[in-house]
Amino acid sequence: MTREQIRKTEGFIALTLSTLAAFMGLFWLVFILGDVLVHGIKALKLSLFLNDPAPPGVEGGGLRNAFVGQLLITVCATLIGVPVGVLGGTFLAEYARGRGIARIISILSDIMVSVPSIVIGTFIYAVLVRPIGHFSGWAGAVALSIIMIPVVLRTTEDMLSLVPWTLREAAFALGAPYYKVITQVVYRGAATGILTGILLSIARVAGETAPLLFTSFNNSFFSLDMKQPVASLTVTIFQYAMGPYDNWHAQAWAAAFVITVFILLLTITGRLIIRWRYK
Amino acid sequence: MPRTAKKNPVDNIFSLVTAAASFSVIILIIGILYVLLSESSLAIGKFGIWKFLSSTDWDPVKESFGALTNVYGTAFTTLLSLVIAIPVAIGIAIFVTEISPNFLKGPIGAAIELLAAIPSIIYGMWGLFTLSPIMSNHIEPFLKKIFGSVPLVGILFQGTPMGIDILTASVILSIMIIPFTASISRDSFNLTPSVVKESAYAIGATKWEVVKNVVIPYSKLGVFGGIVLSLGRALGETMAVAFVLGNNHRITTSLFDAAATITVTLANEFTEADTDIYLSSLFYLALVLFVMSFITLAIAKFFLLRAEKKYSR
Repeated sequence: MTREQIRKTEGFIALTLSTLAAFMGLFWLVFILGDVLVHGIKALKLSLFLNDPAPPGVEGGGLRNAFVGQLLITVCATLIGVPVGVLGGTFLAEYARGRGIARIISILSDIMVSVPSIVIGTFIYAVLVRPIGHFSGWAGAVALSIIMIPVVLRTTEDMLSLVPWTLREAAFALGAPYYKVITQVVYRGAATGILTGILLSIARVAGETAPLLFTSFNNSFFSLDMKQPVASLTVTIFQYAMGPYDNWHAQAWAAAFVITVFILLLTITGRLIIRWRYK
Repeated sequence: MPRTAKKNPVDNIFSLVTAAASFSVIILIIGILYVLLSESSLAIGKFGIWKFLSSTDWDPVKESFGALTNVYGTAFTTLLSLVIAIPVAIGIAIFVTEISPNFLKGPIGAAIELLAAIPSIIYGMWGLFTLSPIMSNHIEPFLKKIFGSVPLVGILFQGTPMGIDILTASVILSIMIIPFTASISRDSFNLTPSVVKESAYAIGATKWEVVKNVVIPYSKLGVFGGIVLSLGRALGETMAVAFVLGNNHRITTSLFDAAATITVTLANEFTEADTDIYLSSLFYLALVLFVMSFITLAIAKFFLLRAEKKYSR
């Protein structure tokens, strides 16, 4: 072979492998989602949403407690995490813009986004579960909100930074104090972006399991009391999938299906909004 | 910031509230560190630092605990998953930036990123019910037949393939981290100035030569940062591996052995710890994991910031 042929063959092999890699990525996505879809739809029944769990080993029953519990924990986490995150992001992008402290907090938040969620579970166990003496829904919600805060904070900071400075100057020129400029001009300009960030952060925490294991724990009964242990879909999936009964496995698949669809819809909506608004 | 605007009293309050909210991140990090330290003080006092990290004991009955089996399991699965994920992720990035026709770039990139949105519990469950049987029935016996008798490498392929082992866990972890590495690599590749690429094409380089000799060297800081970030995420992954790793506190050499990572030990044993020293040792493990991943993520951030600075010039 001539040198040119060797170079061309080498290039052909490398590019073919790259193409294969891309299809491998797609293959995993289709494989996993397809599997969840097939198993999940098979087990999806109306009774799943209407009934509470049957005793172990007994057929039937549903996961009403877990659906409601998951919703309750996620909503409470959002109520704690979003205000703190948005206000924190506001400080970084407005009052502390360009200062060293803004940069440090921004970098630390980026690190916090990826800190192992199970560590946050152990932290909350030490501060909110053991001193009180029992697991509680609030502990789970706080654990999730800790994961949420850095995510919302960083997206808010980025989105506020995208609002043109001249817009603020126009408002200042009318004599508006800074807080009014922020709440009435900057927030309005960045509203879509901040909302998207919130959507994506909800998608992020809704599938979390590890931080709930030692905080909200699990509850086989229907309960709306956030001061008591609250069932969540993710922890239930863990327990049911590891358990010995076939109908537990089926219900775990159904729960997995519901939660996956919910999270993917949130994620895709968020991304579409970003594309529509910022490109 | 306009200085005059700060004189308003409501403005002062608002700025203080926002400042408090943003400092919550720092307070949380310090709080986590402090709480984990104080909770594990019992175990730190009893086992020390070096002895805890180097001991392979994990015996709740004798109340003797060491982190080595867990750290070993974490390091083994994480590194193996990186070995599997990096070539695939870089291949994906090359495909999306250089090979794919324009109309496919967006959809394929988005599809790969959707992989990152699937919750880890789904990965774990899928691994247990779907991947694990495939691994134990087809892939692992095949690997054993080929590599089992090769000297040195053969050590990795001993034992009965059960599907609940290091290899299965690493494959799942690798699928989870591919999107992170791939999307950061893609973004870095995209930042290569087209003038530089075009000059390489002009002197007759093939597409692969442009990628290998121009694009990758130009973007290596960003790609490296992406790889370290994936490493940091893989270290702390819990649910994806909890299903398929077993919970085996021994140092094992075969890919077909069950093992334990720090996260899996925490997930399985935290609520069962019945003695103070047991719980304290688990907090100690959490502290080790927190410090490990924090340092890894800080290094990743450092490289990504350097890359950002370089490209923005």
